[in-house]
Amino acid sequence: MTDHSNFLAFSKPYIEGAKYVFETMIQTKLVPGKPKVKDASDGLSDLTSFINISGERNGEPYQALLVLSWPYETYTKMASAMLHEEYAEYNEEIADVGAEICNMITGNAKRDLTGMGYTCIMAIPTMIEGKGHKLKYPEGTTIIYFPIESDHGSFVLEICYSETFSEKKGR
Amino acid sequence: MALKPDMKILVVDDMSTMRKIIKNMLKKIGFTNMEEADDGATAWPKLEEALGTDAPFEFIVSDWNMPKMSGIDLLGKVRNHETMKALPFLMVTAETEQGNVVTAVKAGVSNFVVKPFTEETLRDKIAKIFVG
Repeated sequence: MTDHSNFLAFSKPYIEGAKYVFETMIQTKLVPGKPKVKDASDGLSDLTSFINISGERNGEPYQALLVLSWPYETYTKMASAMLHEEYAEYNEEIADVGAEICNMITGNAKRDLTGMGYTCIMAIPTMIEGKGHKLKYPEGTTIIYFPIESDHGSFVLEICYSETFSEKKGR
Repeated sequence: MALKPDMKILVVDDMSTMRKIIKNMLKKIGFTNMEEADDGATAWPKLEEALGTDAPFEFIVSDWNMPKMSGIDLLGKVRNHETMKALPFLMVTAETEQGNVVTAVKAGVSNFVVKPFTEETLRDKIAKIFVG
C-alpha cells in the first residue's frame, strides 16, 4: 500500500473507532488534526500503547500496528474520566488503561476493515512507559501520524502498515 | 431466572481497567457481591473452589481475548462441567465480527456485549439473561 490515499482509507476505521470509544467510555470528543507521514526514528510521548494486527487482503498478507501515545498529564486525566476516580499522577493502578483503549479501538476498526475485505487477527495490546521512548516498527512499515485534541489534552494516534511479505515477492 | 442484587458474580478480564469499569457499572446497576479474576486460567479454580462452599458463583462476566485461557475456552469448560453447565455467562468482547457471535452462540453463551459499552447497555444485556 504505497499510495497514501489507500493508506488513509485503511486508517479511517481506526479514527472513527477512536472517536466512538472516547465518546462512550470517556465522554469526550476527539478532534483529529492533519495526518502526516512519520519517520520511524522519531520518538513518542510518555506513555504508549500499541497493538499488532495481521491478516490478508485479496490473498496478500499485511501487518499493521495501532499506536497511541500520551503525555503523562493527558493520560492521567483521561484515566480519571474513564474510571470515574481522581488520579493526581500516573501509577500502576491506571497502567493498562491505554492498552484497553487500544484494544477497543482495534476491535471496532476490525468490523469496518472486514467490510473492506481485510481479514484481521488482533494481538494482545502492550504498554510502554518512560519519557522519550521509541518503538521498533515492523520492517518496511509506513507510519501515518494523527495529532489528536481532546478535553483532557492532546495525544497522538499512529497507524502503521506493512506488506513486507508482498514486497519480498517483488511487488 | 430471578435477578438478585446479592447474586455472586465473577468478573474475568486480564485488564485491571476493564475489571474496574465492569465492577463499577455492576455496582451502579445494584449488584453487591462481586469477585474478580485476571484470566480464564485463574477464574476456573475460583469457580471450582466456590462449588464446594455454600456460596458458588451464580453469574460470570468474562472478556473473550485473554492470554492464558480465553473467554471462549472458559465458557467451554463451564458448559462441559456437570454442575456448572447452566451457569449464566455474559461474554465481553472488543470484536464485532459476525463470526465471533456465531462461535459464542454455538459455545452456549448466555449473551454478549461489545466494548465499548455503557452502563445502560450492560443492564439490558443482563436483564435479557435473567428476565428475558
